[in-house]
Amino acid sequence: MSKYDVIMDTLPPLGDRPEILFRQAGDGFIQVEYGRVQRVELLDSFRILAADTKIKKKNLTGLIETLPSLRANMIHFDPTIIAPQRLIDEIKEVEESISGVDDMVIDSRIITLPIAFEDSQTKLAVELYQKQIRPNAPNCEDGYNLSYMALCNGCTVQDIKDKLLTTDWYNSGCGFWPGGGFFWPMDPRAKLNVPKYNPPRIWTPEGAVGIGGACLFTYTTATGGGYQLFGRTIPTFQFAMTHPQFKDGPFLYRPSGDRIRFVETSEDEVISIFEHVHEKTDYVYKIEESRIVVKDYLAFLAQDDVVKGAAEFAASQAKGMQIAPKL
Amino acid sequence: MIKVINGGIEILVEDWPGRIGYMGLGMAAAGAMDNLALQLGNLIVGNDTGAAGLEIAGGYCEFEFTAAGVISITGADMSPTINGSNVPLWEAIAVKTGDKLKLDHIGEAGFRAYLAVRGGIDVPVYLGSRSTCLFGSYGGFEGRKLAVGDDLPALPSDGTADGIAGRKLNPKYIPAYTNVWELRAIPGPNSVPDYVSEAGMDYFFSTTMKISHNANRAAYRLEEVPAEFWARPDGGAGGSHPSNIVDHGYNMRGAINVTGNTPSILIADGPTLGGFVCVANVINADLWKIGQGIPSRDKVTFTAVTVADGIAARLERQAMFEADDLLIG
Repeated sequence: MSKYDVIMDTLPPLGDRPEILFRQAGDGFIQVEYGRVQRVELLDSFRILAADTKIKKKNLTGLIETLPSLRANMIHFDPTIIAPQRLIDEIKEVEESISGVDDMVIDSRIITLPIAFEDSQTKLAVELYQKQIRPNAPNCEDGYNLSYMALCNGCTVQDIKDKLLTTDWYNSGCGFWPGGGFFWPMDPRAKLNVPKYNPPRIWTPEGAVGIGGACLFTYTTATGGGYQLFGRTIPTFQFAMTHPQFKDGPFLYRPSGDRIRFVETSEDEVISIFEHVHEKTDYVYKIEESRIVVKDYLAFLAQDDVVKGAAEFAASQAKGMQIAPKL
Repeated sequence: MIKVINGGIEILVEDWPGRIGYMGLGMAAAGAMDNLALQLGNLIVGNDTGAAGLEIAGGYCEFEFTAAGVISITGADMSPTINGSNVPLWEAIAVKTGDKLKLDHIGEAGFRAYLAVRGGIDVPVYLGSRSTCLFGSYGGFEGRKLAVGDDLPALPSDGTADGIAGRKLNPKYIPAYTNVWELRAIPGPNSVPDYVSEAGMDYFFSTTMKISHNANRAAYRLEEVPAEFWARPDGGAGGSHPSNIVDHGYNMRGAINVTGNTPSILIADGPTLGGFVCVANVINADLWKIGQGIPSRDKVTFTAVTVADGIAARLERQAMFEADDLLIG
């Protein structure tokens, strides 16, 4: 055993539960990791959220907060109030209470977001990038990123838009930037994949929507960024908290588990909604309380048309990646 | 209470422990870079330890008091003067309307000074804290560093200020400042055997590393680690470099995050989540030292300790704040 060993405790794999590792991460943090293999698998995130909800319901004194991500949960606590092993034992108890996917039900709202494809503001961001950062960037060839996204995925620009609109996008956990969620396609037939900007942009407008790797992000405020841009949606964050949707905090998204669904609209409509959120504060967000029943979702994934469609798209992506220039 | 005549390099309103509980929504805690100096400064003027004060990085600034009150100056020694006369650090000082406080450049050691005022600096509380998150431009005073003409009020304080002026920190509790900062750190969550080699961890815990010029409130970048640091050829599904990982939450504040071969200490305003490994975490009781490291001049060394050591250090710090002989006079 090494003096740098960090695994404080484990739970063995059981049925569809991967091995769970409790990694030391300081005197106020423990990372709960699911499995030993780096993988991108929504099922891991569902399990983390099912467990996370139960951990929070325990109202443990000394637990400060949790940071769920795709395959790990970072637990922040005050070790002078709750001992690390006690916390681990409480989390193990929760994990033992979730025996399999049939038990996993996640509170998950569906938020409908109007989006304008190829709007003037994200086009401006691409134009500035070419002027200030990287002239002749292959991902900006015709002044925008959509053609490059289509090239990488072996499909047409219209296919990209259709895929963005047909799937729900699931938030595995906010982070990195205030209020920003990391969204993944629920429908594997819409699992787009694109390299990130290299080097990154220095400006992206509020409301921009982009994809990096397989992950979708809605820019909550104007900031830098590296995701390929394709359109602009409505505000998903409000620092000033003047709109009723934001009266309890500047965030639209919950820390994790929300799904978003895009509906196509005009840029004028998006700009008008910006005004009705930030100035007139009378826009009504379309948010539906809902749940993900994991066994139902797995049945969807197993449908013949879904399996076949996902395999076909993966094959066209593989071809696209071979010919698309690297960034 | 206090008006900025010269904004110097970077003056921010910060409190402690900062904006806690929003990491899962992408908001770092922010808070004082040297929480020890801020907390001691607050105790000297009779505040709660966590009250908001001014964090002065790099020095060269001037203030005018627009009301009478009691202040303390702690942290790095920037040769403070009031109306041209030297004033001591770590001591409660009475000020009157029109007094001018000036801080010079940084001295031999330490990068940040703290100005505590009796009552605490009064800026709006945003999500539970008065701290400025400079990188997100929110919190504190209009989400920004202070500039000429800004006039900050103090909150009213309980009880009388009588007898507080002249109160000092017992010299034995004045933190030791240096140019090589020993940071006690706990390995993990990404360590041996899967991410970093045994030799890599040995290297990390035995090498004195210079702080880069690129060191700020989000990250203190250090010198590159050698290729032998890694225990794996790539990051698998996380990416092509062995420092890549499928995005995970960061053990912030204090995470040692490695991007490419460059380690950075993630602190106050740092990212809460990302796709790079975190090989260790500076213990909570030593976080204050990071903020005193002078960019492109000072160095850091890491000493491996256990979780139990980290908890003991927290309790020791709590006991110090409660010690009967903490303040004299």
